[in-house]
Amino acid sequence: MAENEIYRDVTSEEFPAECSRLFAGGNGRLRLMFGADLRETGEGFCVYAVFSRPQEDRFEILRLKNIGEKGGALEFHSITPKVPAAHWYERQIADMLGIVPLGHPDLHPLVLHGLYPKGVYPLRRDISPAEIKRQLDLSKEDLSPFMEVKGEGIYEIPVGPVHAGIIEPGHFRFSAVGETIYYLDPRLFYTHKGVEKHFEQLGFVNGVKLAERISGVSSFSHSTAYCMALERMAGTTLPVRASAIRTLLLEMERLYNHIGDIGNMCAGTGFAVGYARGASLKEKIMALNEQLTGSRYLRGVNIPGGVAVDALRDPAGMLQEIEGITEEYKSFIEFLTDSVSHVERLENAGALARDIALSLGATGVAARASGINDDLRTAHPHLYYNQLIFETHTRMKGDVFARMMLRADEVGCTIAIIRSILHKAKGKRLEGNIASENWEAPHGAQALGYVEGPRGSVFYFVKSGADGAPLRVKPRAASFCNWPLMPFAVHGNIVPDFPLINKSFNLSYSGSDA
Amino acid sequence: MLGRIFNNIIRKKQARPLENLMADQKTPRASWLADGKEKEILPGAFRQSVRIRHVDAGSCNACEWECTALTNPVYDIQRFGVDFVASPRHADILLVTGPVSAAMANALKKTWTATPGPKIVIACGDCARDGGIYKGSYAVTDGADKIVPVDAFIPGCPPKPSVIASNIVQIVKALSKIK
Repeated sequence: MAENEIYRDVTSEEFPAECSRLFAGGNGRLRLMFGADLRETGEGFCVYAVFSRPQEDRFEILRLKNIGEKGGALEFHSITPKVPAAHWYERQIADMLGIVPLGHPDLHPLVLHGLYPKGVYPLRRDISPAEIKRQLDLSKEDLSPFMEVKGEGIYEIPVGPVHAGIIEPGHFRFSAVGETIYYLDPRLFYTHKGVEKHFEQLGFVNGVKLAERISGVSSFSHSTAYCMALERMAGTTLPVRASAIRTLLLEMERLYNHIGDIGNMCAGTGFAVGYARGASLKEKIMALNEQLTGSRYLRGVNIPGGVAVDALRDPAGMLQEIEGITEEYKSFIEFLTDSVSHVERLENAGALARDIALSLGATGVAARASGINDDLRTAHPHLYYNQLIFETHTRMKGDVFARMMLRADEVGCTIAIIRSILHKAKGKRLEGNIASENWEAPHGAQALGYVEGPRGSVFYFVKSGADGAPLRVKPRAASFCNWPLMPFAVHGNIVPDFPLINKSFNLSYSGSDA
Repeated sequence: MLGRIFNNIIRKKQARPLENLMADQKTPRASWLADGKEKEILPGAFRQSVRIRHVDAGSCNACEWECTALTNPVYDIQRFGVDFVASPRHADILLVTGPVSAAMANALKKTWTATPGPKIVIACGDCARDGGIYKGSYAVTDGADKIVPVDAFIPGCPPKPSVIASNIVQIVKALSKIK
């Protein structure tokens, strides 16, 4: 357990009021909420809620324990009416553990589709993966109803789960009036792969490989947050060179994502040249990733206690590559902002209001483009970030253009961070080991891990049992917080703008579905 | 500006030549084809031009980005007569990625049914082959061949775009017995 984590057990009566106080109408942030089956340690069924405040490097972790002990019902008072950001988390807890949030305004299955048997809760420790699998009915369609909008001239457009492009699966049900979207009901979790339970099967060290494969283009963010949680749990100190390498590669991940996203938005407006230039530039960065680490997605780098690949071998050579990319990027951005037809499509499309983003707990680019100054790199300095000078950016308007320009601002900051680390490495100021001595799992310990990934904050909670094996691993991808924003952002826009708005958020299905 | 664009289009300045792509291909031929598939298929069914319908059956999205990269100016897979299409009705190849999550099994089966024959099913990536890192999880079916008949595999996690490109070209050649 690390210094900035404060754990507190509360009673079921105190829980909603305490959560509401910490959330403070959106000024506090709900970082993570999850349930756990800790019956084997005598703590029974638990619900955790992790809050933090801006400008305070401290996580307040509230815990309800022994829910439903002595024959009581497995329920707790829902905090969603006071803390809207909790609404998906609570539905997830109900699906995965069968702990019911009483008074939740919209309680129906989220993660588990109709093919999962009723009354089977995958995260309970007394049911094996093989047993759950035996009870699945793969031929069963998910027939739970969509939100129905009634009125003259309203018609429905069903899309998915298999989409027309090379993208991930999910079902969208549009209720439209003419071309205008009145309501969007997304049904996700088609790519649910049982990650949380699978972590328990794989063990802590092999879990790194799984963390890398939760969300493809956030591989490094996930593996870093996971390893950080393991290290904080064991009290391992990270060597400075390892921490600099992780910071460098996190920024490389942000660089290829942001530039790729800016390029992809051109596909949303049918601007083929912009798209092609963005894709070529992204390809260059991916090739540089491969040259640095052997993996285009920066996989196989993180290990508990450090990194396995010394990505700072040749800082001078890499500086040169970065110069080339920077030049090309500058001319690319000028080219895009000079294109009136492109910019006109982006302005005022998919506007997300600040108060909605705040109360639903938006994170990352989605939050910062709507005027919420929340960046874990400065809010909770970790790795090498507290030794670097950089500024975080916000934009006020919350539309697609704001999200594009915010990414452009952040690319500038990212390039500055990369340069600064490379210069330090070139000046031999980051010498030392790239991993600390053998990492070993402590017994009966717990900790949080977190990073600011390209899509927003990524959180992990890990807890080991009395034997040092994983008792609970909870990953939370940035997209899990941002998906619920989509219906609000697309409301009142035209259907053909949906792909563009979707691309401007760049949400991961696999990360959110886990 | 326009001049530069046309110049790029005509000269394909950025595109890597086919031999260069083949150089990234390290997998021996025997591992692409599923057992017994060499005999079954389709002499002459496909020539130089094939259309692919991609189906994400629970992938982490890395394979998708590599497939998307195939259409960028560096790989430009269209110049080999290979392209991605929006409907299974237009497709010759189903390219399946991901370990097939339980919730996608039905959709994958339906997409396969909607693809007219003769068709080739390729499982792309280690997950699609046998579940990969997800093997044994309650929510996946451990590989595309548990749901649809698979003709060939492309190994890698994720396979690089060059590996996907050269594999597709070679799989089509091998299965339709083009010399």
